[in-house]
Amino acid sequence: MTPEAPHIDWAGLSPIVALTAGGIVVLAAGLFRGAWLRRYGVPLLTLLTLGATAGLSIWQWGEDKAIVSRALAVDDLAMFLNLLFCAGAIAAVVLALRDSSPEESGHGEWHALLISSVLGMTVLASAQNLVVVFLGFELLSIPLYVMCATNLRRSKSLESGLKYLIVGSVGSATLLYGLAMIYGATGATGFEQIATALSSQAGLIDDPLTLTGIGLIVVGFCFKVSAAPFHQWTPDVYEGAPTPVTAFMAVATKAAAFGAFVRLFDVALIDAATNWSPLLAAVAVASIVVGNVGALTQTSLKRLLAWSSIAQAGYMLAAVVVADREGVEALAFYLAVYLVMNLAAFAVIVARERETPFGDDIRSLAGLGASRPALAWPMTLAMLSLAGIPATAGFIGKFTLIGATVDGGYTWLGVAIVVGSMLSLYYYLRVVAAMWLSDVPVPAAREPVPAIAGGSPELDAAADPEDGAGQDAGPDRPVSQAEATAVAVLFGAATLFFGILPSPLFDLARDAGSALGLL
Amino acid sequence: MSPTTWGWLVLAFPLAGTVAVALGWRALPGKLPGWIGTGAVFASFACAVGALLSLEGREGEEAKTVVSTAYEYANTLGVDANLTILVDPLSVFMILVVSGVSALIHLYSVIYMWEDRGYARFFAYLNFFVFSMLLLVLAGNFFFLIVGWAFVGAASYFLISFWYRRRTATRAGIKAFVMNVIGDVGLVLGTYFVFKHVGTLDFVAAFEKVPDEFAHNDGDLVAGCILLLVGAVAKSAQIPLHTWLPDAMEGPTPVSALIHAATMVTAGVYLIARMHPLFEQAPAAADVGAILGCATLFVAATIALTQTDLKRVIAYSTMSQIGYMIMGVSAGAYAAGLFHLMTHAFFKALLFMAAGSVIAAMAGIQSLDRMGGFRRSMPFTFGCFVVGGLALAGVPPFSGFFSKDEILLLVGDRGGWHWILYAVGYVSAFLTAVYTFRMIFRAFLGDSVPEARELEGGHLHHAETPVNPMTGEEEDTEVGFPGPGHFIAEREWPMKTAMAILAVGATVLGVLQIPHVTHVIDSFLEPTFAGSEFAHHEPSDGLIAFGLVLGTVLALAGIALAWFLWVRRPELPARIRSGLRPLYELSFNKWWFDELYDRTVVRPSRAVGGFFRERFERWVIDGALVGGPTGAVRGGSAFVRAIQDGYLRVYAGLLVLGVVGVALYFLIVSA
Repeated sequence: MTPEAPHIDWAGLSPIVALTAGGIVVLAAGLFRGAWLRRYGVPLLTLLTLGATAGLSIWQWGEDKAIVSRALAVDDLAMFLNLLFCAGAIAAVVLALRDSSPEESGHGEWHALLISSVLGMTVLASAQNLVVVFLGFELLSIPLYVMCATNLRRSKSLESGLKYLIVGSVGSATLLYGLAMIYGATGATGFEQIATALSSQAGLIDDPLTLTGIGLIVVGFCFKVSAAPFHQWTPDVYEGAPTPVTAFMAVATKAAAFGAFVRLFDVALIDAATNWSPLLAAVAVASIVVGNVGALTQTSLKRLLAWSSIAQAGYMLAAVVVADREGVEALAFYLAVYLVMNLAAFAVIVARERETPFGDDIRSLAGLGASRPALAWPMTLAMLSLAGIPATAGFIGKFTLIGATVDGGYTWLGVAIVVGSMLSLYYYLRVVAAMWLSDVPVPAAREPVPAIAGGSPELDAAADPEDGAGQDAGPDRPVSQAEATAVAVLFGAATLFFGILPSPLFDLARDAGSALGLL
Repeated sequence: MSPTTWGWLVLAFPLAGTVAVALGWRALPGKLPGWIGTGAVFASFACAVGALLSLEGREGEEAKTVVSTAYEYANTLGVDANLTILVDPLSVFMILVVSGVSALIHLYSVIYMWEDRGYARFFAYLNFFVFSMLLLVLAGNFFFLIVGWAFVGAASYFLISFWYRRRTATRAGIKAFVMNVIGDVGLVLGTYFVFKHVGTLDFVAAFEKVPDEFAHNDGDLVAGCILLLVGAVAKSAQIPLHTWLPDAMEGPTPVSALIHAATMVTAGVYLIARMHPLFEQAPAAADVGAILGCATLFVAATIALTQTDLKRVIAYSTMSQIGYMIMGVSAGAYAAGLFHLMTHAFFKALLFMAAGSVIAAMAGIQSLDRMGGFRRSMPFTFGCFVVGGLALAGVPPFSGFFSKDEILLLVGDRGGWHWILYAVGYVSAFLTAVYTFRMIFRAFLGDSVPEARELEGGHLHHAETPVNPMTGEEEDTEVGFPGPGHFIAEREWPMKTAMAILAVGATVLGVLQIPHVTHVIDSFLEPTFAGSEFAHHEPSDGLIAFGLVLGTVLALAGIALAWFLWVRRPELPARIRSGLRPLYELSFNKWWFDELYDRTVVRPSRAVGGFFRERFERWVIDGALVGGPTGAVRGGSAFVRAIQDGYLRVYAGLLVLGVVGVALYFLIVSA
């Protein structure tokens, strides 16, 4: 008997292969000497890699199979999320083209880290094995810890990276314990086997070991999606990280974590739903309340969006709670919408950070409606969409979320979403008002700070002014922001488009939602 | 093309006109907005004719009721609210009248409003009104009837308050809107009563079910019909919801002609005719409508006798004439009521246009006391006014004579207490002749006033400073006030054309329906009213002859009396006034309806409103309801920020606390 080589489904693996290969190529390309190659060639290669991954994911659309000993699922949900990761990463690369963080940390390294993070997300989104879940989880997190700290000479960036690393490690450890306990209780690591074990062995779903395991997993995931009360790292990390990284982290990490969340809870642990759904519902409400309340008085736009993302995580958790096909559809739809509106907002922040001396302070937007309508409109649409105003994608997304909660028997969660949205109007509209109703502020004369040794004016200009390095930045400074403006306009337009014609996106979300085989 | 295709086109043109003028007003030069608006309505009229021909080409009664659904707007919980139009003889009749008269009034306005600073805005509103009115009459279900009904109310509000810097105009607009909303509420509630039983909003399906679902004079149906009647009464300015119509004369004169005479105010008549299967099953409600119509036609005629504002006299005559129509359709004389609706649209639009011409010659002054002797300087306007007046007074062979007499004939033929309505109708017909010719004689005969002499000299009078004719306040001619220029029909061919066509119509349209000779309207509308119990009712020849003679005599006697009082012995009216002071006061003060509503509704509502604004709002809403939650949110925000202190140990500690909390929860669950 000759040992048979295991069958490898290269087609199903192709997105992962593309990312792995691309990451290596990009890392190698960064080693070459040419400044042009490093500055433009590396991002171009990264974009190519991401584009190829997206293309391969589209190619695999409609497949429904499990590969690598059934550890990875290739289905519409995974492919849908792959597209979101790629979209987020592409936007991050474009926004980082002129950023100082790749410059300081090395273009090859920065982009290779980004690609490995996307790789981790891809693995996590299709994982249906506990071990692979943890693998993907770490593969996406560790590059992000580093990327947060890539503004090497800005203490806030370093602080955010360190904080994220430490708190993130606590979260990972918690998750790992939880996964181990589930394995201990059920004797299996594959999702299907876990589900079988839970449904066939009487009393297992009420077993303390199982339940403690579920609890620890909930904490680990809630940490990653930044749901309260495990959210505290979010504002600090969002604020400190380089803004393109924040943008990527905000949209893609959330999508990956929620993808794993539904796959694990709505497939493997579905039989224990009576036990975990009240807990998740409570966490959802806590996030909605804490996120919205915390955002009310923020003046830093990145912190504001961080708090808002906590609240949005609460909205999306509600869709996990209902644990049916409609919930997953609503979640997939909302994740896409969330990506679109947040990227529009972050693109505007990136542009304004470089144009004004106010950094990401809300003052940087003052008078934008008159001076830069191409930035003001996307930001306005993004804010209205986040608040869920009709004719924006956010409205449709929230509408389907609320519909899913009501149909799933959690009407009170729908009410919580509505109340949260009402609260959120306060701070979203404040941003809109700053753009359209206030005049351009005159920057106060600032103490000239001696340039840090070895620093170049280009780098200093983009650095956070609170670190005292950006004294050259000002409205007079002619800075071309074509690529950031393009990203803002593109995603702003998408916000409006999907608000008026949601059906194309909705059809995709419907395919993704039916991938899990839920009712 | 099928009738419904024409029907959709009828709606499409005015809507396109509204959008084009409203969005493109900056780019459209000169009179182009006016011509676009006019062209849109003329196109709409052409399509209405298309619908008529296409409908006439179909055989059989069933085939003449055509329904088309463009879009299923909502179809949930048993509510079937689709964008459906219903094309049948009744709706085709209505769209012909509405689009035809509207087209002529648009043509008139192209010149009449030319120097107003809100020229394009005016035509955007006017086209929007025409669209709404056509939507109302074409609606194939209650849902879009209500939509059209409310749109029409809104358009009326925009146009009454068109000169929005005039306080009197904005107040009149608000008054009209509030009164109309009362009607809207009635219409919606009435629809609910019907819907509750028949379970559908579709007209055709609902009317089919009426005989099965409702007993004769069923309580719910009577309540529903009375509520529908509230809608009709408010829109058609009938007692007791009529007080807005005279004030609506604050709008530009073409608006008075179009909305507050020819079309919108007849919506109530259309509503009752459309709902006739309901009303025939609930005769008690129909009787209420007939009595209200009769009361209105008399009261309004008495008020018109003493008013001095030219446009308001015509406004009261409109109320009175619509009273005839409401009385007619409520008493089962559907075709007659709609016939009068059509003839009235012609002669009343004509009267308003002629009045507009006179008012232009007076540079905005509307008081009859200041007018006189325009006969020589404005022969064309005078001729039109006389033609309109003769039709209104009901002198044969003008159109109003035949239509009014047919209503009274059929009402009287119902017998019983309907004879009272018959008698009141003829008394009011006499009064109509008197007040109509009082108006004509005072404005056109007698000594020429300075303005008339100026015009005889070939120069159109212009005021030194424009003033509000109601209050005497000084105004400028910027946007929000009437423009500086005035235009009279004698000098402008579009105004002349529009008036001439209407004058011809007001003269000859009576031939459509002469007893025993022609019955065009009857036979055209026959398919719609075929199921009616009054459909094949023939009054006796004696009654017909008596009515025709009586109508002629009363009209001529009224004109003669007016001539005697205001031309032959002009000092007499003052003596009569002092001799019959209580009656004069009653009429001049419009039966004190305004004062009554002011005391019983407006002031108490204001007091309640004041209480809520000053006390309830401050203490309960701002204090308890708003203050409580905002305080809680503020406190929560402070708390969340307090624990967000930036120290990693706190974050890790809280994370661990969270883990403990989650684990504890599960341990409790599992126990």
